[in-house]
Amino acid sequence: MKILVADDSKAMRMIVVRTLRQAGLAGHDILEAENGKAAFDVARAEDVDLVLSDWNMPEMTGIELLTALRSAGSTVPFCFVTSEGSDEMRDLAQQSGAMGLIAKPFTPEAFADALSTVVTA
Amino acid sequence: MSAIDEFEQAREDLEALLIEVLGSVFGEEAAPVWGQELPPGPMVVSRLAIHDEVDDSYTMVEVRTSAVVARVLAGRMLLTADPGPDDLLDALGELGNIAGGNVKSLLRHSCRLSLPTAELSPGPAEVAVDGFTVRSAVLGQVVELTVHSVDTIEGLLWPGTASEEAVETLA
Repeated sequence: MKILVADDSKAMRMIVVRTLRQAGLAGHDILEAENGKAAFDVARAEDVDLVLSDWNMPEMTGIELLTALRSAGSTVPFCFVTSEGSDEMRDLAQQSGAMGLIAKPFTPEAFADALSTVVTA
Repeated sequence: MSAIDEFEQAREDLEALLIEVLGSVFGEEAAPVWGQELPPGPMVVSRLAIHDEVDDSYTMVEVRTSAVVARVLAGRMLLTADPGPDDLLDALGELGNIAGGNVKSLLRHSCRLSLPTAELSPGPAEVAVDGFTVRSAVLGQVVELTVHSVDTIEGLLWPGTASEEAVETLA
């Protein structure tokens, strides 16, 4: 499957990919984007199977990305990976159609718990 | 109650937060330190602002450490033995982002977080007047988290559409 990782930090994108592997969810094609707008373009062009997105990004936020994808008819599973893990943010993510929110700092176990229903090794 | 007042009451939470974030990001045990300052010499500092939408105030969250520690952090995050200057800034910016997001989560009301920025600094900063600092040690070196109110937030970007135009400067 194709997994899109959207984060404006190159270091964090690498950590997310590494954590997927540590969670036993390796072996997939990884695509990367450094902001929400670029992620939207990649998601539409590549027909991705899962989006892992930061919330606060330049150009287009993660929630704007999710809203844009849903407005365009995409039902791709979408999970936030963000430093803000308040109940308010989780509620907003869920109401907007996200499957979950993984708060930074995270563990491989958090990835496995949040993603095992849509990602297999 | 202002954001700074709330943070003052949550000082122990901030100390615990810094330890947790450092322990996770570095993959090393971190411990609180008191009475120990940052060493002299080049620093890397990340900054981001929290905009309190209730009273329209701004709180700056800064994470500061030596360039030596920033280099170790960048090397571990990016899996490279020789991280460049941009790698140091990216790594510490993300550390600041994680810390800032968690700091924001301590507040009980709606706030907005800026994007992080990071820069090299010739040495430790002056003590913040309206705010406070917590410190932890990781790899035997001090990492400092400072939270203080600010009147100006020059140079910070805000997430979302047209963020390039969203550079805000308060008079």
